[in-house]
Amino acid sequence: MIALDVQDRKIELEQHLQLLRSLACELERAMKAVAQNSLPELEDSIANQQVLSARLSKLANGLSRDFRETTAPSLAHLDRDLMRQIGVASSTLQKLNQRYSALIQHSSRSVELMVSLFSSFKGQFQEGSAPRLKHQTWSCQI
Amino acid sequence: MGGLNTSLLIGVQALEASQGALAATSNNISNANTPGYTREIVDFSENQMNDTGSAVSGGGVSLDNLQSVRDELLNLQIQNQTSLQSSVNTQYSNLQQIQSYFTNSGTDIASALTAFSTSLTQLSATPSDSAVQQNVIVSGQSLAQAFNTTAQGLSSVQSEADGQVTQTVAQINSLTAQIAQLNGQVSQLAAAGKDGGTVQDQRDELVQQLSTLTGISVTQSDGGETITTGNGTPLVMGSQSFSLQTTTDSDGMQHVLDSNGNDITSSIQGGQLGGAIQIRDQEIPGLLSQLNTLASQFATAFNAAQAQGYDSNGNAGQEFFTIPSGTAGAAAGISVAITDPSLIAVSSDGSAGSNGNVANLSAALTTALPSGQTAAGAYANMVFQVGSDTANASTQSTAIGQNLLQLTNQQGSISGVSIDEETTNLIRFQTAYEAAARIVSTIQALNTVTLDMGSTQSY
Amino acid sequence: MRINPTFVPNIIADLQQSQATLNVALQQVATGKSVSVPSDNPEASAEMVQNTIESGEVDQYTQNVTSVLGSVQSADSALGSVVTSLTQAVSYGAEGANGTMSASNQQALAQQVQAILTSVVAQANTSYQGAYLFGGTASTTPPYVASSSSPSGYAYNGNSEVNSVAVGDQLNVQTNLPGNQIFSNSGGDVLGSLSSLASALQSGNSADIATATNAVSAALNYVSQQRVFYGNAEGQLNSQETYLQQETVNLTSQQTSLVGVDMATAATNLSSAETANNAAMAAAAKVLPDTLLNYLSAPS
Repeated sequence: MIALDVQDRKIELEQHLQLLRSLACELERAMKAVAQNSLPELEDSIANQQVLSARLSKLANGLSRDFRETTAPSLAHLDRDLMRQIGVASSTLQKLNQRYSALIQHSSRSVELMVSLFSSFKGQFQEGSAPRLKHQTWSCQI
Repeated sequence: MGGLNTSLLIGVQALEASQGALAATSNNISNANTPGYTREIVDFSENQMNDTGSAVSGGGVSLDNLQSVRDELLNLQIQNQTSLQSSVNTQYSNLQQIQSYFTNSGTDIASALTAFSTSLTQLSATPSDSAVQQNVIVSGQSLAQAFNTTAQGLSSVQSEADGQVTQTVAQINSLTAQIAQLNGQVSQLAAAGKDGGTVQDQRDELVQQLSTLTGISVTQSDGGETITTGNGTPLVMGSQSFSLQTTTDSDGMQHVLDSNGNDITSSIQGGQLGGAIQIRDQEIPGLLSQLNTLASQFATAFNAAQAQGYDSNGNAGQEFFTIPSGTAGAAAGISVAITDPSLIAVSSDGSAGSNGNVANLSAALTTALPSGQTAAGAYANMVFQVGSDTANASTQSTAIGQNLLQLTNQQGSISGVSIDEETTNLIRFQTAYEAAARIVSTIQALNTVTLDMGSTQSY
Repeated sequence: MRINPTFVPNIIADLQQSQATLNVALQQVATGKSVSVPSDNPEASAEMVQNTIESGEVDQYTQNVTSVLGSVQSADSALGSVVTSLTQAVSYGAEGANGTMSASNQQALAQQVQAILTSVVAQANTSYQGAYLFGGTASTTPPYVASSSSPSGYAYNGNSEVNSVAVGDQLNVQTNLPGNQIFSNSGGDVLGSLSSLASALQSGNSADIATATNAVSAALNYVSQQRVFYGNAEGQLNSQETYLQQETVNLTSQQTSLVGVDMATAATNLSSAETANNAAMAAAAKVLPDTLLNYLSAPS
């Protein structure tokens, strides 16, 4: 790989930082959507996350390779503050990701439980109008 | 984005909130078949925003009470129409029974009138033939029988309606007691700031059942619901219920009294009770009165025609029909007084073989009675009345049924739970979580890369 | 705005409607009637009350016409024989009045006239279906019985009453003339004049015979006039019969228009109702049991 020009590298690092922050924001938005039981909101956030994380992956891989292949002196011009910010943002993102992961797993288990309960009920679901028809009711406790 | 702690807090709150939301969904699904259940939507409020200097972050969400979606006005409209339909249906089924006595069956009054009048016409041609004379007596007996059967039929339907009154009042009292109790529970919930939820749904369902029994008026007040009959007799006030009583009146019928002992029978409208009372106290007495008047006037006219002539023994004609004195009970009590054919007053002057008085006997059927109609005309009027009352009840029932369908459609679209909708949500959640899980992995992998980036540098 | 997800009541309402329509169509084909109970058509049902009674009456009037026609024709025919007999008697009388007749021949004629008297009395005592036609309203015993105290040798045992029989709603037809108006009336004494002629022929007195013959002749004219009554009655009865036939047709067609059903139309209606009902049931069967839950698979 040809070493990146210093200026280009700076731009890409800034992009990296922005992407990290945006992705973290989307994770928060997704968690909020789950709490609000707002499915469209959640789906939208996940779509954004897919795009962001794909871009981030590609960018991060590129930068990482670049650093490995660049000699130390060329890297001396790197903005230290920028790198520090990237470190912080990355750390924040990871921790958020852990929370997010736990939430998704928990919710996922609940949904699967409900699906399996309803699937196991092989009887007829007859939809009755609000106060009129009397049918068998069964309920489940989650 | 605020600090890590804020993010953590948001995460935890989100976890708790999602629990509640999923609980709402599961509640919706499991109650889809519960009559009266209104779907719950999670009512959310944003927590206060935190203002922490450089960045403002949302305070996350917290779960407020679940709120049932219902349209109170729609409920009232449905109650109203339900009462009406119940009343009309009760009347319709009773009228169908009544109608059977006025249907051409061979033993109805129209058939009997036909046989009687033709027997007299035959007598005109052969006034001295004893077999023909006998036929007049037999036809007369069939006619009296037809009156008896019709009157007894009306009375028995009236009796049934009377029984329905007693039964329905007992059911009403049972329901109002239950409703009062539930009112108490709902008030407590309201005082605690919570929505009535399933308790209120249960109560609303019972109120709906009550509306099928009698017309009601429902108002909300601080103490809860107040339910009265259409004209203001209290049935339920908050957590207190007021029983109705029945008592046998001088007319032999069950009268309905309020909790103070006042007779409210004639003011009851709507519901099975209103319908039964309408049949028992209006429709049937009206028909019986017409029937009795007809029987009484006809028998009197025919007896008078007998008296104008002489029988085959040369004696003045005696009474052919026996009826009770006074009009009441005439139809149930009419019978033929003679069995000897020679007592029919065929002769106009006592001479044997004369048929001079037969024309007078026939005229009793073709001449207008004091009511202004011939016997056949008066009966035809009754047939028309019964037929159109029955047809009207049927039409009304259909029309109200359609109204109700529309109203419950509206109610269902507001309150009903769709299994399909809820399960579609489940599937979408499944899909979203699967995608989310993959992203979580991607982000985790990023960590390594970023660390790699950092490790080549020294800060 | 959501639509009502609980669509079952709508489907059930539709099914009930198509079922009800089918039932009505079936009943109409089976009974041929569009009205079985008053509520089907209250006005028609009320009109049917009158139609039923009127139809019964018209049938009976028709029967009355037939039986009265029989007795009237029978009476008319009897009087026809009487006219023939009287004509014969007159010619006997004319013969006997001729001065050239021998006494024994006159005796023979007297016997003949006596025989004519007997046969006329027999005619006067005609009965039709067990009822004597010429006794006034006294129809159970012969109107003329032998009586030594009566100049003609026969006394009238009947009465002077007449009967009118109902043959229409507003029509009573007089059906008889009393015997004493026809056979032993001062206007023309059939029996008396015959008896006198027989006596005169017996006596052989030409003047008496001539007088007696004139009396018989007068009686003949009289009877012929009386007979007109029966001819008129017959005419009246015949036209009433035609009228009643028409009435029967009218009443029947009124009945059909009130409560009957055209069978071809009823059959077509039934076919349509069956098709519609099957379609409603098929649609309901498709829609009702399917919910998404049927398609959820349990997690592995």
